[in-house]
Amino acid sequence: MDKMIYSILSVKKDPEKLDTLLRSLKGIAGADLYAVSSDQISAVVSDINRPDLIANNSNAIDYAGVIETLARKFTLLPMRFGSVMDSIGSINNMLVKNYSEIQNNLQKVENKYEFGLKVFCDPEKLMSELSLESEATNETLQTSYSEMKTSVYREYVNEKLKEHKKEEILLSYVDSVIAELTEFLSQLNTLKKIKKMTSAKNIIDAVFLLKKEDKNELIQAVEDFQSKYPRLNFILTGPWPPYNFVDITIK
Amino acid sequence: MSKNKILCNTGTVDLSIKDISDEFDQIINKEESRLKLSPDNADSGLAKLVLTLVELIRKLVEKQAMRRVDGGSLTDDEIERLGETLMKLEMKMEELKKYFNLTDRDLNINLGPLGDLM
Repeated sequence: MDKMIYSILSVKKDPEKLDTLLRSLKGIAGADLYAVSSDQISAVVSDINRPDLIANNSNAIDYAGVIETLARKFTLLPMRFGSVMDSIGSINNMLVKNYSEIQNNLQKVENKYEFGLKVFCDPEKLMSELSLESEATNETLQTSYSEMKTSVYREYVNEKLKEHKKEEILLSYVDSVIAELTEFLSQLNTLKKIKKMTSAKNIIDAVFLLKKEDKNELIQAVEDFQSKYPRLNFILTGPWPPYNFVDITIK
Repeated sequence: MSKNKILCNTGTVDLSIKDISDEFDQIINKEESRLKLSPDNADSGLAKLVLTLVELIRKLVEKQAMRRVDGGSLTDDEIERLGETLMKLEMKMEELKKYFNLTDRDLNINLGPLGDLM
């Protein structure tokens, strides 16, 4: 039978605590969980038949639930859904071969939580408001039209230019929000990954890794950002296991 | 898993829960934006792939052209010809999309961790 790996964690402080916790949990398809250990690190696994390994919502939630419960008690590296090896021996080999990389990553995420921040807007409304403000200050959108003579092709270019300028204004606005966010996060010594414009409405999609004790400061900061930028919706989620901050190429 | 992971969501932008939920669905469920090539739909699958690349290049050309117009480095005649070319390209693209029954959304394929193509 194959072995599904949920996470790799550090058990240096209290290995018995892990066994007790695993006895109270069930894995995918109600399977028992157990630990495969090498020195101070353990992989949490359950037995699984390949046909039971279906990537659906229910299994994904069960899988994430195990990781989250473990993350409340241990420093861990969450594994991607579907991480399967054929035997306990293979898992042991993997732990031994990657021991130092695993330890480095565990150190990186120790006593830290991951948080997600998504910033939404009403794109049309925001873009037209920003364009109006820009016109009021430097008239860039207006001058490009009035200077040009009219023809079908010129009007087409004018329309495209107008769209282009609106996009530039929006991008510059998003950059300014990100810059402010980044400045705040650097004060907390936070690891971060920020993507912008992942869709028309989702203008910022960010994840942070920060110390557990900084959670309330982050919440307060996001609330302050929300007050400062009423045209945007800030949605902060977490705490999550460090899904986005594990960097290991398994040998 | 904890039911409520939302720590802060006090914004007042007129976005309904459905809008936000749709956004999450769009991010999570990328089925529509995947290229589905199989022996049964090789023609349309290939058309989708080719038109996606053509549309990407067309948009890049358009963006670069607008930068040049905005920068003031083109003469009136050049702007006129540019407008004609871009307009005809867009019209031709619309024709092709109609012919192959494709929408703008179909041509915005998902590149996994890199996000959407356009």
